[in-house]
Amino acid sequence: MELFTPDFGLVFWMFVAFILLFLVLAKWGWPVIIKMMDQRANTIDQGVEDARKAKEQLDNARAEAQKYVKEAQARQAEMLREAAKMKTDIIEEARNEAQAAAKKEMDAARLAIEQARKEAELSFRNEVGRFSIDIAEKMMRERMSDNKAQTELVNKLLDEIEKN
Amino acid sequence: MCLLTGCRSDTYINILTTMSKYHKIPLIHSLATTRRAVLGLLIAVLLMAPSAASAAGHDEGGSLDVKGIIFEHLGDGYGWEVPFSHTDRIPLPVIVRSEDHNWFCFSSAGLTEKTETVDPESGKTHHALEPVVKTIERDGKTYRFLIAHESANKDKVVEIFDLTPAEQKELDARLADEKKTGDVDLGVQVIDGYVYYDGKYYREYRPLDLSVTKNVAALFIAVILVIAMVFGLVGFYRRKGMRAPRKGMGFFEMLVGFIYNDTIKATLGDKTKKFAPYLLTVFFFILVMNIVGLIVIFPGGANLTGNIAVTLVLALCTFIITNIFGTKHYWKEIFWPDVPLFLKFPLPIMQLIEVFGIFTKPAALCVRLFANMMGGHMIVITLTLLIFILGAFGAAVVGLTTVVSVLFTIFMLLLDVLVSFIQAYVFTLLSTLFISMAQIDEEEHHAKEDKGDSAAESKDLAELAAQKELISREAAEMDLK
Repeated sequence: MELFTPDFGLVFWMFVAFILLFLVLAKWGWPVIIKMMDQRANTIDQGVEDARKAKEQLDNARAEAQKYVKEAQARQAEMLREAAKMKTDIIEEARNEAQAAAKKEMDAARLAIEQARKEAELSFRNEVGRFSIDIAEKMMRERMSDNKAQTELVNKLLDEIEKN
Repeated sequence: MCLLTGCRSDTYINILTTMSKYHKIPLIHSLATTRRAVLGLLIAVLLMAPSAASAAGHDEGGSLDVKGIIFEHLGDGYGWEVPFSHTDRIPLPVIVRSEDHNWFCFSSAGLTEKTETVDPESGKTHHALEPVVKTIERDGKTYRFLIAHESANKDKVVEIFDLTPAEQKELDARLADEKKTGDVDLGVQVIDGYVYYDGKYYREYRPLDLSVTKNVAALFIAVILVIAMVFGLVGFYRRKGMRAPRKGMGFFEMLVGFIYNDTIKATLGDKTKKFAPYLLTVFFFILVMNIVGLIVIFPGGANLTGNIAVTLVLALCTFIITNIFGTKHYWKEIFWPDVPLFLKFPLPIMQLIEVFGIFTKPAALCVRLFANMMGGHMIVITLTLLIFILGAFGAAVVGLTTVVSVLFTIFMLLLDVLVSFIQAYVFTLLSTLFISMAQIDEEEHHAKEDKGDSAAESKDLAELAAQKELISREAAEMDLK
């Protein structure tokens, strides 16, 4: 059967063609393709890993930012509260100070008035004393114008001293 | 396979022209009925076709050389058939070495001649391609070559010589012998070493024939296609860097990945780099040859992988690589395998089987690919020829046969596309297996087993530890809550 007997010419050319094809592809074909496919697979793996990491980092960053925002808000509230407190404190203090100053002023005024009143009283008493002495002098002079009355008085005074 | 390149290609032209004529009709119908109408028309056209076919068959005298046509399509040729023509061939170079060791190279067009004979009854002209003697003068000597027909070297180029008186005597004696033994007169007697041509016997010499035949040309086309595919992809990488190719190139790359990662790497492991180029080349070369063989017209149509010479060379390459790179352990397993002593000494039973196995493995590779592809081609061409074989039984029978055989032919061709992939893959897979079986080292062999055990053990331990950790963590969490 001619179908089952290999033809030498075809065997020869097949051998030549196949060996040539193999050499060409083994040198410049397959290594390039396989290297590139491996490289791409690695790159894709790396990319997936990177994306995962990036997402993780992003999540972390977001959480951190949230934390900072919260912190800042807390601090702001604190500061506001502090400011308010300070405001009331200052007002209170100012009021107290004002009150104290007013009181002092009033005290001083009261003291001065008191003093003035005392001085006035003193001078009034002195005046009254002088007046009464003057009056008494005048009355005495009038009453002691005769000797009898004078001796009577001396006696009386002497009695009094003796009694003592 | 070469459906359209066959002798009856005019039939197909008839079908095509009739179809194109009637094809406009369905447009009148509503869309819903169009499909049914087309189908009906197709069948009607196919039923009409056989009358043309039987007419064509009648042109050539009614008898059909079925075997000749099948073998012409399965075999090789010095020229390449042109579609829709009985007599035109694309000429290819014939390269032969004559008896006195001179090389000759000439076009195959010089070995055939178109003839025109007019049939006196019908008045029709009949075209045929007849072999003629190619005469070459060189250094005062005349060399004559011929495509032998009535000879032991049928359809091959032979160098012919006029008979010397002694040879004439011997030939006469042998012819007389044949006549005595043969019961029936078979016409021309085929005598070994002689060729009958144009009413005369010549002494023939089958030269060393390195002609670029149809198969060799198809081989070159396949090589160019594979190189174009591979370097197309390499060029793509060079232009586009690491970007993934799309469409055809993407499919090619996917195939490379499938063969390289899932077949070669999975089997050969760390020896992949050494053998992958060979195995990849084998796969794509076979695949391209298979597919190109299925294409009916010119660049295809050669029954390449259905030719035993092609598969023989491929199997031989696998055989050589398997045994050249075989390890010590591989040879030890052949000549002193791990079997009870009485099986290998004093009678070397196992050794015989193993040595036999070295050769049967590649032989199976060779025959499997050859038989599968040739079988596919043969079924398709036979199904097509069925139409013409049944041409004698009238239009109705042949009409039905035409429908059935065209449908079956399409089905078989589609199946052959699948078979092309499968056979290319099987050849590569088995080559990989044979090579990997010759790559096992003794230490590796044992080490693998040991490593397997210890690996399993350590894996168990690791799992246990992980579970423990998980439980303790859960407990801690519960505590926290």
